Amino acid sequence: MELLAHLAQGFAVALTPTTLLLAVGGCFIGTIVGALPGLGPSNGVAILIPLAFSLGLDATEALVLMTSVYYGAMYGGRISSILLNIPGDEPALMTTLDGYPMARQGRAGDALVLSGVASFVGALLATVGLMLLAPLLARVAYLFGPPEYFALYMLAFCTLGGLASRNQAKSALAAAIGLGIAMIGLDNQTGIPRLTFGEMHLMDGVDFLVAIVGLFAVAEVFIYMENHGRETALGVALGRITVPVKDIVRCSWTMLRATGIGFFAGVLPGAGASLGSFLAYMAEKSAARDKESFGKGNPRGVAAPEAGNNAAAGGALVPMLTLGVPGSGTTAVLLALLLTLNITPGPLLFEERPEVVWGLMAALLIANFVLLVMNVPMVRLFVKILSVPPWLLLPGITMVSFSGIYSLSGSSFDLILMIAFGLLGYALRKLDVPTVPIILGILLGNNMEDSLRRAMVISDGDWTYLFSSGISIGLWAAAVAGFIAPMFLRNLLKRPGAGSG
Amino acid sequence: MRTLGAALGMGLATSAMAAECIAPANPGGGWDFTCRTIGKIMHDIGAVDAPIQVTNMAGGGGGLAFNHVVNERNDDPDLVVAASSATATRLAQNAYGGMTADQVSFLGAIGADPGVIVVAKDSPYKGLKDLIDAVIADPKSVTFAGGSAVGGFDHLKVLMALGRAGFNDITAVKYIGLDGGADAITQTIGGHTQAMTGDISEVVGFLSAGEVRVLAVMTDERIPGFEDIPTAREQGIDLVAVNWRGLYVPKGISEADYGKWSKALAAVGDSAEWAAAMKANGLAPFNKVGKDFQDYVNKVVGEVRELSRQIGVIK
Amino acid sequence: MGDRVFGLLIAVVALGYILSATQIQIGFLSDPVGSRTFPYIVGGVALLCAFAIMARPDPDPEWPAWRSLGRIGIALAVLYLFAIALRPLGFLIPAALASAILAYQVRPVVRTAAAAGLGLSFGLFAILKYALGLGLAPFGRMLTG
Repeated sequence: MELLAHLAQGFAVALTPTTLLLAVGGCFIGTIVGALPGLGPSNGVAILIPLAFSLGLDATEALVLMTSVYYGAMYGGRISSILLNIPGDEPALMTTLDGYPMARQGRAGDALVLSGVASFVGALLATVGLMLLAPLLARVAYLFGPPEYFALYMLAFCTLGGLASRNQAKSALAAAIGLGIAMIGLDNQTGIPRLTFGEMHLMDGVDFLVAIVGLFAVAEVFIYMENHGRETALGVALGRITVPVKDIVRCSWTMLRATGIGFFAGVLPGAGASLGSFLAYMAEKSAARDKESFGKGNPRGVAAPEAGNNAAAGGALVPMLTLGVPGSGTTAVLLALLLTLNITPGPLLFEERPEVVWGLMAALLIANFVLLVMNVPMVRLFVKILSVPPWLLLPGITMVSFSGIYSLSGSSFDLILMIAFGLLGYALRKLDVPTVPIILGILLGNNMEDSLRRAMVISDGDWTYLFSSGISIGLWAAAVAGFIAPMFLRNLLKRPGAGSG
Repeated sequence: MRTLGAALGMGLATSAMAAECIAPANPGGGWDFTCRTIGKIMHDIGAVDAPIQVTNMAGGGGGLAFNHVVNERNDDPDLVVAASSATATRLAQNAYGGMTADQVSFLGAIGADPGVIVVAKDSPYKGLKDLIDAVIADPKSVTFAGGSAVGGFDHLKVLMALGRAGFNDITAVKYIGLDGGADAITQTIGGHTQAMTGDISEVVGFLSAGEVRVLAVMTDERIPGFEDIPTAREQGIDLVAVNWRGLYVPKGISEADYGKWSKALAAVGDSAEWAAAMKANGLAPFNKVGKDFQDYVNKVVGEVRELSRQIGVIK
Repeated sequence: MGDRVFGLLIAVVALGYILSATQIQIGFLSDPVGSRTFPYIVGGVALLCAFAIMARPDPDPEWPAWRSLGRIGIALAVLYLFAIALRPLGFLIPAALASAILAYQVRPVVRTAAAAGLGLSFGLFAILKYALGLGLAPFGRMLTG
């Protein structure tokens, strides 16, 4: 009951005509920013911080605006994933795998509505989880030391094996390419640059946005030039847009499972929304009987990553609020906003500034409902993108991508790197090498290496330290199961009759 | 148009010929704070005419912005750049591709985040001396966690403290670099590492929650508001290490322009608004503006260079 | 055939990667794992994958005809020139030219290409600069001095 009283207090602060207007505006801008390749949620929030100040908003209003943009961008990322096969931001990466095939089958509307509902479920439940459990969950972060994190990343890479459709070697190669790229830059454990060849732009490593936009958006330009759009969703006949009730019902368990996994991944600092959506997708695929249909437009392959990444976005607020540890780039920007508003997140935030915390919770709930209401009808508008003529759409996407990346550092270097990634993406697509593991390698590679090396510093090189806690042993067991089980099952399925049922 | 270059956090109202403050990192860090807070107060108290526009230029740990200023904006009188101890450390370690501290003019610093050494509340180490004695007795028994990479400022603070106590076997000291101070303190509270080295602003929340014990603060005197934390000096370790927050300007601007900026910065330093911002962010008074500050930076660069050579971060 | 060439290429790149990894500097303060271990492992895995791909190649993809290759080459050149022109010349002119050429490649009609070039450069500039606040300059220093 105390909780409801708190929440009522929160709504009293956060629910006024002005804030509602800000929520609608923020959700809209966030959705657009999320959908544009090269502009992720962190850019969206960063862009709007000065706006909040120039509008003279007070702390609560600024928070409502920012969280709306944050959640809006998390919703928006899926749109370009589904319609164009270009992830709008990195957490929407996994949504391309089944969302885009659905769009090519003429089910773009269904995929968008379904993923919108999945996003809503994930975000809503994560917000509830945040309200009920945040102070408790803060302790979870204390339990995760370097060995536990290393085991978690190993789990992610081991399940990659299940992602590859045919050629395991190509999938592993893609992961190695990503990891190899991640090694470039300043080595955290020695302070000495690695593999930068003296290039200052490489000191901080290769930005994953550059890689993602290159591998997907720029590669798309080359693919289009080659075959004149034979292999795109553009011009696919669109049926009437209805709410795919059957799919939503069938995916309800999927969404709940994915929410749980995503939320947990979000709570751990450093893992974040991308890992959440990845693990949610892989778990769903390995639990499914119809594994073969994943990657070919299975609605559950759309619902799982979207519920997962939105739940992770909510989960990432747990360490941000209770420890001041930003779990992702976006929460880092939100953290900056809180600091500029003279709110210092930390263990005492919930006790010292209840009006801020519960105002934020109320703002999250408001943003969620606004987004659901806005998104389902807006699908009609979004699918119109597919009927924009390619001679306008293709250069348009290119210009947006280039401007977004250019705004990161203001140098041509990133752009040229992005074009190189585009060529690589084109060649890999031709050779049937999956590009998703490359991004995962870039995103998680440094964390994985750092956690192993930190563990070895702490233990003076004693490898048994990696298996010294219940959590790490559990994660290793899951990793082995995720790696070995698919191979074993595949053999089982090959036997006639054994796979049915 | 002076707005060329990278800009994420750019206001809409500030498109005129406003002065610009480059934060050489993504929004959210200390440099971003410096630009936004100092820039805002500078305008609020009327030290400059137009609002100061903040531009984020992340890359190379500040090297990209440094390079940009030296090579492309060397005579731009309307430009200031956020800097901190990290800038000086990296310049000392030759991490900006051969560029040196004398290629820009350091303007001043008007606040500093004091260095601290922190342990979890249930740690056996009650004072700085306990911890240092434990390291000297068995370096393997203590792992330090910090928010900077090996060779970064957080790491150097530990090495300097040990050096003052007469322990110079720096390769034996165990240190892990994490992604920021909050991460480092989480690892220490979780018991994965024994001590955390960082800035006091990073530990304030955990301190008031009773999760940690601050063994020492590395300032001349105890910090206002935290009078019960002893300084390192009181405990026999003669070390002052603060992470100052300040600005530099291009080398090629006129004396008059340099004077104008130092006056504006000094005015911010004296303002009540800045005092409030410092208090909210756990900054301690640290006021060096103008030539004084330039000398201070040169001294620090020399010291860090020497230490870095000893630990092999540079040759 | 395609996979065998690809595998060979990857093997060469992986070897080069391992070779550059041997050049990584190590200070006295090295941790037990060290700076080079991970790059070695990654290079080694890539090398193994390359051999596996060469040993069991997939059927060849359909490679682009020379004409298509030419189109890709033009697109590549346009993107590259756009990338290096953005800073000295600002957004508007390079964006207009690049969009127009790409649009012409998709649909070889001068009228639509010109419309795409002008519309996209001015329209996107307005949206990106004024609605989203990105740091784009309309004209670069080279044009305005």
